[in-house]
Amino acid sequence: MKKKNIPAGKKALELVRGNAVPIMFVIICAIFIPMAGFSPSYLLNEIITRMGRNLFLVLCLLFPIMAGMGLNFAMTLGAMGAEIAVILVADWQIWGIPGVVLSMILSIPFSALLGFICGTLQNMAKGREMITSYIINFFINGWYQLIVLYIMGSIIPIIHASIMLPRGYGIRNTVSLLNMRQCLDDLLAVRIGGVKIPVFTFILVGLMCLFIIWFRRTKLGQDMRAVGQDMDVARDAGINVDRTRIISVVMSTVCAGFGMVIYLQNIGNLPTYTGHSQIGMFCIAALLVGGASVEKASIGNAFLGVILFHLMFIVAPGAGAFITGDSMVGEYFRVFLSYGVIALALIMYEAKKRMAKSKAGRELAEAQKEKEAAE
Amino acid sequence: MKSKRRIAFSLLLVLILVGIAACMMVIGRGHTVYFDNKTLEDYNGQEYKAAHKVVVTVKGEEVAKLGKRERGMAVWIGQNFKMTLEVTQEKGDEPEVRTISLKLPYSVDGIVVNLPALLAGLPEDAWFSEFVPVETESVDEEVPGTGDEFGLDGGLGLEGDLGTGDIPVG
Repeated sequence: MKKKNIPAGKKALELVRGNAVPIMFVIICAIFIPMAGFSPSYLLNEIITRMGRNLFLVLCLLFPIMAGMGLNFAMTLGAMGAEIAVILVADWQIWGIPGVVLSMILSIPFSALLGFICGTLQNMAKGREMITSYIINFFINGWYQLIVLYIMGSIIPIIHASIMLPRGYGIRNTVSLLNMRQCLDDLLAVRIGGVKIPVFTFILVGLMCLFIIWFRRTKLGQDMRAVGQDMDVARDAGINVDRTRIISVVMSTVCAGFGMVIYLQNIGNLPTYTGHSQIGMFCIAALLVGGASVEKASIGNAFLGVILFHLMFIVAPGAGAFITGDSMVGEYFRVFLSYGVIALALIMYEAKKRMAKSKAGRELAEAQKEKEAAE
Repeated sequence: MKSKRRIAFSLLLVLILVGIAACMMVIGRGHTVYFDNKTLEDYNGQEYKAAHKVVVTVKGEEVAKLGKRERGMAVWIGQNFKMTLEVTQEKGDEPEVRTISLKLPYSVDGIVVNLPALLAGLPEDAWFSEFVPVETESVDEEVPGTGDEFGLDGGLGLEGDLGTGDIPVG
């Protein structure tokens, strides 16, 4: 079937409208980069490091979007599961790559359980998944604090004083992961013109991308997409909608747990009480910056988003210092932008939905009028 | 039939993961090995003197260059520790190179190796001891969760007379 001839101007306008957020970020970055005054090799190095650190986490958001559950703020639950696993592994003194692998395996039961709880609760609040997952975060965060602050050391044995609070129970504010630091990034790493490329981490990210592509074609992947498009139709087609939705959240939280382990090994320390708090927000913001929406996201969006969002993160303090003489302004700016872009995406999604609804209503009314006139 | 196969597959997956985790726990156990170039006095009535200089190389990297009464350290993952020692017994002597393999006990974090005793081929109790960190007076770390995030520790500024006595009741 041939496409209608749409004027080039309208086409361009549609393109701009469809990619307003990435275009806005490209413009911001283009203005900020010369102001920040960083060398291209420094910027490239930072971008590549941050891609290795964050891409896995951002990619895990794709499963719930596939199932029509929107942006999974509950990926933070996976991060909490990973943090508990990393604390235990650090206490058992398992270092290097075995430590990372063990942390990932240990995080699975925690993340899966939390994902299951979250998915079940989200099924009870259909249509309000995002706000539900956001509030579940706070609820589970309370439990996490209880476990880490009171149960670890008193009920769960913690041997090493270096990670325990001086009072004899509870975990310190920061747990050193020095013996795990960048062990994945350094494996097979190559340096090109002073830029370190963490090849193994990128291989892991590549495997995750391949898994997502493969998964979309499986029966479960197709079911998820069907559920995402229309739950009622999917139910009529014999798909167990609730189960499919729970699986998508569990997959997302488990992958977020893996991503958090990759993130922490890159950072080299674990901020016990704050490490997970901003993860969900920044990953969601990065995905939206890449041009994703609440109902549609792709691997390409994740890559573009991480590049643009973190480029802005790198250059904003420098640009802030250039404009106002105070780099803190840049810090505030990037935080304000990350929350702003989420708000913008949610508003755009809601406006689009309402417009489509009113358009459908108008069309129906017109059709009825025509029918009445014909009679 | 299908559900049985699914359960079997899930159990197999869990078993594989448990197996990998157990493997990682063994091969990934980290140890800190301390090398002491100190004279071992009165071991079975004999004295084993510290060498003039000992260069310790682990995994091809020089980790310590020890004079008399000096200590060096290296981190090691796993239980089969290997090091190369370049020992100069007296000043002006030709250095002697020796490769040494040690079996590190799983449960011990820090291991102190007395090099003169090890080089003399003495039994393990002569050269091996566990490193016990000295307990220092810890600075009180702020317990997370105490206080509040909003800097209102001093109260909400609502102390004192709010003039509520003037509000008619009832």
